[in-house]
Amino acid sequence: MIAFISGGARSGKSTHAEALARRWQAERGGARYYLATARSGSDGEWQARIGRHRQARGEGWITLEEPVDLVAALGRVAPGSTLLLDCLTLWASQLLYASEYAGELDEARGIAMLERLLAEARRRDVALVIVSNDVNEGMPPEDAEVWRYLAFLQRAHRLVAQEADEVIQVMAGLPQVWKRRGEERS
Amino acid sequence: MQLFIGGTCAGKRGVVRQRFACAGWHSAYAGQALEAWPSTAAGSRCLVLEGWERWIGERLAAEPDDDRLRQAMARELDALRAWEAEQGGQAVLIVVEMGRAVVPLGRENRRLRDLNGWLALDAAARCERVWYVWNGLVKGLSR
Repeated sequence: MIAFISGGARSGKSTHAEALARRWQAERGGARYYLATARSGSDGEWQARIGRHRQARGEGWITLEEPVDLVAALGRVAPGSTLLLDCLTLWASQLLYASEYAGELDEARGIAMLERLLAEARRRDVALVIVSNDVNEGMPPEDAEVWRYLAFLQRAHRLVAQEADEVIQVMAGLPQVWKRRGEERS
Repeated sequence: MQLFIGGTCAGKRGVVRQRFACAGWHSAYAGQALEAWPSTAAGSRCLVLEGWERWIGERLAAEPDDDRLRQAMARELDALRAWEAEQGGQAVLIVVEMGRAVVPLGRENRRLRDLNGWLALDAAARCERVWYVWNGLVKGLSR
C-alpha cells in the first residue's frame, strides 16, 4: 500500500499523513516508522520545526533520519511495518545539491531511486505514506537552477502519484481524494 | 473548447497528449505566434494551444493597458470558438496556474500574473469543460 499526500505549506498534510499511517498500522500490525528527510543537526529554526513536528506526532514512532538514500533507509524498516516519509521537497533538494554526493547523483538517478523505493516497499510489504509540498502553482521560476529543482520535484510527484494506491491533496486540513485503491476520481 | 489548467510541470501536456492523440499542436514554446494558429488548425480537426503566458508576455511591452490586452486575448478565444463552430473543430487550451504564491516584485511579472489569471477566467467562461491537472492526475471542475 502506497499513499501520496501533498498540499501547500501548513495545509495539514503531515497531520493527515500521520493519521493514515496510524490507521494502516492498526489494520496491519507491525511497527510504525517515521522517516525524516530533514537533517536534525541544522540551525535553531530547523530544530524548532522538527521539535514541533515530533511533539505533534506523539508516541509510538520509530524515527529514522536519511536526507538522500531512501532505499537504504527502507532497508532499516522491518517487513510488514508502516513507514511515513516526510517529505519529498527536502529530499529532492538534498539529492540535487548535497555536497557529499557532489557529481554522483542527478535527476535520472533520483527517479530511479524513487522507483526502487516504491518497488521495494511493495515487495517487503511495507505500507508507505509519502508526504510532499506543492510549490508549482506560483510564477514559473526565472532562475535556471530553480527550474531544474522544480522540474525534478514535479517528476518525482507525478511518478509517486501515478504509482500510489491513494492520492490526497490537503487544503486547510481537509483531504481531497484524487485516487483511492487504484480508482481515479474525475 | 476545453481548458486544462495546472501548475508548472504538473503534467498538463502528458494528460492532453493522451486524451487528444490526433491533435495538431500550436505552441509558443516552439516559437509559433498566437495569431498564426489558423495555419496549424488547417491540418487538423483538433487544435491544442499552449504557451499562453508567453503569448501574453510578448504583448506586455506593446500594450501598456491591461484591460485592452485582456480584451485582445479574449478576442483570440472568440476566434477559436468561431473556428470550432464553422469547421466542427475542437480547441484545447493549456494554461499554467501561476497565481498561488506571493505577489511578484517586478511590475512586468505582476502584470503577467494578472493577465494570465484573467485569460484563465475568460477561457473557462467559453469552455464546455475545464480540467485541473495536479501531479499528473486530472479532475473535472464543476461550475
